[in-house]
Amino acid sequence: MNTEITRAGSSLNQEEHQSFHDLFEAYNGHEGDLVPLLQKTQEKYGYLSQEAINEISRFLKISENQIFGVATFYSQFRFNAPGRHSIKVCLGTACHVRGGQVLGEAVGRELDVLPGETTDDKRFDFQRVACLGCCALAPVIQIDSDIHSRMSVIRLKGILEKYE
Amino acid sequence: MNKQSEPVGIIIDNRQLQAASGMTILQAAEKNNIYIPTLCAHKDLTPFGGCRMCIVEVEGMRGFPTACTTPIQEGMIVRTQTTQVNSVRAEILQLILSEHPVSCLICDEAEECKKYNVTTRKVGVTTGCRYCPNDSQCELHDVAEKLGIKEIGYPILYRNLRVEKEDPFFDRDYNLCILCGRCVRMCQEIRTAGTLAFKKRGHQTIIGPAYDRTHLEAGCEFCGACVSVCPTGALSEKTRKWEGKADREEVTTCAFCGIGCQIRLQIRGDEIIGSLPADDPLVNNGQLCVKGRFCVTETVNDYRRLKRPYKTVGITRVDIPFNEAIDIAAQKLAECFPDDFGMIVSPNCTNEDLYIAQKFTRAAIGSNNIDTSTRIFYGQSINSYLNLTKMSVPLSTLRKSSVILCVGLDTRFARSVAGVELRIATRRGAKLITINSHEHNLSLIAEKKLYPAPDNMLEILNSIENLTKLNSNNNDKGELSIVATMLKGAKFPVILVGPDLLSLPDSPAILDCIARITRNIEGGILPLPSHNNFIGSIFMGAYPEALPGGIRYDSDINIQKIKELWNRDSLDYDGHWNSLSNGADPKKKVIYLIGEAPYAQRPSCDYMIYQNIYHPPSSYSANLVFPTTAFTENEGSFINGEGRIQKVRKGVKPPGEARPDWDILCQIARKLGKTGFDYSSVDDIRKEIANFVDGFGDAEFGNRALVPLIFDIDMNIPTTRPLNISSADFPFKLDLSIIEHSYRGYPLTNWVSGLKSLYIEGQLDINHEDAKIIGISTGDKVMVTSLNFEKTWPVKINERQPQGKVSVTVPMSEFPGFIPKQVNVRKNDV
Repeated sequence: MNTEITRAGSSLNQEEHQSFHDLFEAYNGHEGDLVPLLQKTQEKYGYLSQEAINEISRFLKISENQIFGVATFYSQFRFNAPGRHSIKVCLGTACHVRGGQVLGEAVGRELDVLPGETTDDKRFDFQRVACLGCCALAPVIQIDSDIHSRMSVIRLKGILEKYE
Repeated sequence: MNKQSEPVGIIIDNRQLQAASGMTILQAAEKNNIYIPTLCAHKDLTPFGGCRMCIVEVEGMRGFPTACTTPIQEGMIVRTQTTQVNSVRAEILQLILSEHPVSCLICDEAEECKKYNVTTRKVGVTTGCRYCPNDSQCELHDVAEKLGIKEIGYPILYRNLRVEKEDPFFDRDYNLCILCGRCVRMCQEIRTAGTLAFKKRGHQTIIGPAYDRTHLEAGCEFCGACVSVCPTGALSEKTRKWEGKADREEVTTCAFCGIGCQIRLQIRGDEIIGSLPADDPLVNNGQLCVKGRFCVTETVNDYRRLKRPYKTVGITRVDIPFNEAIDIAAQKLAECFPDDFGMIVSPNCTNEDLYIAQKFTRAAIGSNNIDTSTRIFYGQSINSYLNLTKMSVPLSTLRKSSVILCVGLDTRFARSVAGVELRIATRRGAKLITINSHEHNLSLIAEKKLYPAPDNMLEILNSIENLTKLNSNNNDKGELSIVATMLKGAKFPVILVGPDLLSLPDSPAILDCIARITRNIEGGILPLPSHNNFIGSIFMGAYPEALPGGIRYDSDINIQKIKELWNRDSLDYDGHWNSLSNGADPKKKVIYLIGEAPYAQRPSCDYMIYQNIYHPPSSYSANLVFPTTAFTENEGSFINGEGRIQKVRKGVKPPGEARPDWDILCQIARKLGKTGFDYSSVDDIRKEIANFVDGFGDAEFGNRALVPLIFDIDMNIPTTRPLNISSADFPFKLDLSIIEHSYRGYPLTNWVSGLKSLYIEGQLDINHEDAKIIGISTGDKVMVTSLNFEKTWPVKINERQPQGKVSVTVPMSEFPGFIPKQVNVRKNDV
């Protein structure tokens, strides 16, 4: 009877719930545990889902709104499930000068996705990054671990087709 | 920080000042009437240092420290108005304004415009230059004027954000937001609600709840604290948008629940345009719930208010002069035998009105048939509930309690003032235990959460009761014994009782069990009654079973005094009148309703007098109608759930010819030739009440002292005959509850449109499996039938609703009384 009367209001099943609680075990639920917990959660699941934020909120007794506020402040956190492939468009100084911005917009148009989001078919997630460290090859995009150098909008479509 | 011991000597703008140590430069300056511009600082909030408007020069310190965050030190030399400081401030303000529509601040014609429009606007509404609804309350405007900003030297950036109007009560236009963070700090620090947060960073920063949730989805309590502190027009109250600035305010007691918060009525001309919390350390501490903050204006200003008396001739309404109405009432009542009279008075009335109502019934008519609708609201639990109120402790006990138990309580909308106290208590380290049959807003902060099914509520509480007994052998490590151990070892344990329990079938036993637990743990109760003056109605004797002073009808304690004061030789009452019987048993000649609409149909009577702020339901065919005053137009007092006597002060004149309840009753009584009704003011009545109830004497009244809640009353509880019902014909169990948030007989949702999105009412909740079998979907109408009962409701499919059970919340006037719980549900094909 006791387990029955102590759980309500969570949209997760017992197993998923437990999976989160294995993560929380190392923490005692202080407010200061928030950022490490967010990092651990992202490490395990790849991103911060609404359910994850809800579970953290219950564990730390902080509202979801406050947690979301903290998490969106840091660029390290993602709020969408990663796609099968990950596109990073470089907007570092060299790439920016050589048209990285236009390239980013083209990716967004082609896949109908905004930076930070994942396409509906979960094929790609799309991020803008500051520098990939290969400025001589600018402008570059990185798909998974492949660097595509001296990119142009015309070549983009053909390259994207290679990733399923 | 609050170590205000030795004064510190500082120099601000060449003035030698003394200020308490621990103050900031800003506080010291404000205390000495030195102006430093600020946008993000607010007296109730912690320093933020966000807007940089308050920068000053301090000798020996590098750069320009912000006055709001820098504590004073002995010998500090501060300069607030140097050319350099002012030019930096002006530069910063221009940066802020480059993202804020500014035409009203820097317009050449602002001066002329101001004469005609309360907020300076370039042109009128029609041409669209009306960005901002913040009428003459724009702090940005004041600061821009003080700094003499005449143009903006930066490119203007309009964020082009959508104005958020989807939530009730206030709109949000974040294009006007200057990110001062007052609302965020209010929501997180003071309300501790955590609805608002800064999202993202840099120039993308925006304020709001998680994701793109509406405030309703995000758990907002709609307390309006954020709206009150917003220095711009970003947050604006929907109903107050074009009302302008109040020209005066009046502090009074809110009439929408038994907590009895102190509110500041905002008055412009002769109209209430808003209500704000009063800074009252005894009860609400500067907090309000959605009802006190946003519902007063619409409730008292509704166009459907009664303005003049009328009589009904046939089916026609005929307006008549007040004197004539009094004459007719007196004439009808003169013909009426005492036993043929019945009066039902609202527990929302002031003590003075309630006292006169029962005195009128007893002394002028000679009847004992006086009652309030709390008998219907509490039903069979009324005695158990009254017993709980006797263990009532002040709300402030929560501030020292170490363990708090909440049963059947959700503080999101109603009673959110208590919710704030609970959250502050848990921050302080108090442990909160909740027992609810469904998810609730306190679950986030609770240490232990129990969710028994409604049918198991009593069982769970009984187990806790047994475990809290002195000699209980406690080796069990189950949840319940942990709860019991926490309660037993607690300092000042408090139990809060929510309204959810009242609709449970075994609610009397549940409440009695809570009383026993309270005794076992030597704790206190916060019963938080739904009706603002329920306790007052007991003390004033507005029941057949009770006389003034909260004593039994057959007690001889006050009888001699009552006989003298009321000029009566005998008081021979039988203490029985079942107002629930719909007037049929026995049939009444005259029914007099004051601020109540408890019946679905006209009760069987020859003549009905109806006295309220709103029209009677048309099904009543009331014969004579008197317009009366809302609490904002009346004087007197309420007694809240703690037993605190609190003043009600008149804010505005009543509409039309409306008069206070006591005044109308006294006029009728005088017309009937009765003595003892010659009060010149409400204060005279209060003096008479002082004979029966402590705290009403000249010296004590107004101290807001607590009356000891000692009364010895045994309410008659109507017994229901068990009906022989086969569960094959009536397979569903019906849970009926009465809408709690009502005022003078009507649900507040009748008058306050925003409240409708917070409380979904008049819908039958049904499990999806059951719905499939019956063949209905959300929105369809269903007919609910049982023996002698039939009712149609729209249906709502609710996953949480257990199979075989349906539940609905209805206004009291639609409450069908004590009906069979087994019903049949079928699709309404008509």
